[in-house]
Amino acid sequence: MGLFSYNIEKYSPKQLVIIPLVLLAISLVVLAYVTVSVGMPVKPGIDFSGGTAVTVITPDTSDELRAEFAGYPLVSISEGLNNGKFIEFSAMDDTQYQSLTALISAKYPDARVDQIGESFGKTLQDQALIAIILAFIGMAIVVFVSFRTFIPSCAVVLSAFADMVMTAAMMNVIGIPLSLGTTAALLMLIGYSVDSDILLTTRVLKRQGKLNDKLSGAFHTGIIMTSTTLAAVAVLLVVSWLGQVQVVEEISAVLLIGLVFDILNTWLTNVGILKWYVTKGGGK
Amino acid sequence: MKPERVKDLFKDWRVLTLIALLILSVVAIYPHFDNNGNFTTNLQYGLDLQQGAWLQLEFQSEVVAYTTDEPVSTFVANLSKSLDADVEVVDASHLEIRKYYTQAELEPYFETNGGTIISYQQGVSKDTAADIKSILENKINSMGTKDAKVNTLTGMNNVVRYVRVEMAGVDMNEAQQIVGKQGKFEIRIQSTGNQTEHVLYGDAITSVQTPSKTTQGEWGVGFTLSEEGAQAFREAAIKYGATTDPNNHQLAMILDNKTVYSAPLSSDLASSLLSEPTRSMTASTGTGTAAMQQATALEIHLRAGALPVDVKIAGSGSTSASLGAHYMTMCMIAFILALITVGFVIFYRYREPRIVLPMVLINASEIVILLGFISAIQFQMDLPTIAGLIAVVGTGIDQLVVITDEILHEGIVPSPNVYLKRLARALTIIMIAAATVIIAMLPLALMDLSTLKGFAIITIMGVIVGVLVTRPAYGKIIMDILSE
Repeated sequence: MGLFSYNIEKYSPKQLVIIPLVLLAISLVVLAYVTVSVGMPVKPGIDFSGGTAVTVITPDTSDELRAEFAGYPLVSISEGLNNGKFIEFSAMDDTQYQSLTALISAKYPDARVDQIGESFGKTLQDQALIAIILAFIGMAIVVFVSFRTFIPSCAVVLSAFADMVMTAAMMNVIGIPLSLGTTAALLMLIGYSVDSDILLTTRVLKRQGKLNDKLSGAFHTGIIMTSTTLAAVAVLLVVSWLGQVQVVEEISAVLLIGLVFDILNTWLTNVGILKWYVTKGGGK
Repeated sequence: MKPERVKDLFKDWRVLTLIALLILSVVAIYPHFDNNGNFTTNLQYGLDLQQGAWLQLEFQSEVVAYTTDEPVSTFVANLSKSLDADVEVVDASHLEIRKYYTQAELEPYFETNGGTIISYQQGVSKDTAADIKSILENKINSMGTKDAKVNTLTGMNNVVRYVRVEMAGVDMNEAQQIVGKQGKFEIRIQSTGNQTEHVLYGDAITSVQTPSKTTQGEWGVGFTLSEEGAQAFREAAIKYGATTDPNNHQLAMILDNKTVYSAPLSSDLASSLLSEPTRSMTASTGTGTAAMQQATALEIHLRAGALPVDVKIAGSGSTSASLGAHYMTMCMIAFILALITVGFVIFYRYREPRIVLPMVLINASEIVILLGFISAIQFQMDLPTIAGLIAVVGTGIDQLVVITDEILHEGIVPSPNVYLKRLARALTIIMIAAATVIIAMLPLALMDLSTLKGFAIITIMGVIVGVLVTRPAYGKIIMDILSE
């Protein structure tokens, strides 16, 4: 395939894993720093921290909106095309919230409003964290049971772990909050990221032939798999961004980031470890 | 393809299963034109995609595991008095306290009454939650034909902390009014013949107990009247002769102009009313299962739509009709564009319409089957579900690529024997990948994490349909095409 050529033969296992390992280390530092400052690895959005989100299509400018909502704990206003505006407020008490909804329904009757209370947000956050941890453990068990060899299984689990950690770090860097939608995206990423790793491991361990042939064959198939998904997700991102569909925009952005890191982790980290394992005498 | 090969293809069970499922799905989706000539389907949309509002309510109540050396009934009665709250026995070791206290606030009360708290959780028991659900449903149904859903969210240990109400076609203010609205409850007394006279309104009822059974096996619902209410009750009973001739002067309970209960005064109550007003009384419904059900219904009626515990709004949201329509359009565009883009990427890779066309068609059929499933279980599609569906397009194509490449490995057109071996190997890869996705989504599908449950279920279903039906069928079809 002509998109770009990648010559796995050329590099030693050490050279392959060094870039992703450095990135993983940096990502872990970012997550640790954010955890210390906000109490969670990724800055929580209103789903988890409590607050109100308003989506409205209006010709009013951000400054006009800021003046309009001056009496309320406004956090941010983001703009899309076609006059779409996405306004966020931090948590407020019931009376203030009622006056806000009254103001919105009088001024912008076509708005969409979502409000999450602080304690409810906390419950959601705890459950989401449990879901991510359980999903990851479950995935690891399936991988170990399927391959029944220690090092290749570890390589798959490590790549999936690196995918999630790097994606989470990137979310912090570009300011995508952790919400119900992005939690779902991270979980979906667990499924996606092991896809190509499983293909790679099966091809290398269960097929006859020269290692480098098997690696480049797997790469050939794997990269097209990831690029079809990338293409679908990229379309989703563009359409949801143009149309100001906030939830879908966040989900697709996280998936896109995750898939890019997945290419890196599958074809550098996982290949590196697998190559080292096979040349050391493991496998067939 | 030669005609006889096509004929053979339609005899293969994998292909037949796919076709059968596709037909069933189209029936379930039921695309048709409604009476106004508008195109419509059986698909239901969540509140993201149509006008509506949702409210998530948090119970101001807690379930406490405890121990005490006192007799349970004395302990509960004392605790209820000192807390000034209804206390219900859930089971041997759990109490439900229907007023909000923190654990630290509760501990001294338990201590003075001779008990200890073992564990504490905010929420109500499953039974109470079921009551609340039916109260809310009754209330919403009495408002007319609003399309509404009431779901209680059960956490760990069977304690229910939240209830979520979703109503299509209303805005936030209407939703709050409907949920907060109380019915009009009245007690009337028979004067002469079929004539009745007003005795008191629902506001005179200060508390309502859960149904209980006497030692004789008779079911009933206890309730308490306010001081003025008890006075009015006594005066009416004496004035219209219910104390002297109970059977001809029955008491009727009326909710929103419908009689929900009618019975004469018991002889005990009649004689005690002659001397003084009575504040607590029991409406009995008789013995047996029917009586128990009647008592449960009566409890709800006596409350006149008021919930047994206070609730606080934990979250809420609403979507306007125009934004809902906008989101819907955007999703359709994204969906179609995603399919086309994936088609182009695949074409770029294989340059072979004979491979690309079946791939895209199989991919599209996965979506149709999923939509059929969504219609059949009457699931309401929302934005995260649609994102999940588009993700299914992505993974689905991935797996078809694995199958194609595995089969085409080292030159083309393998012999049938080799072909089957390769297909089996490809399906192994797909099975493992599918198992990881299912496992990863399982926690989300089982937890009540708000809107994400649907997303997880749809993703899992997508994977299962793919592994069991569409991908094996693709394997068969592509073999026939390649062995031309």
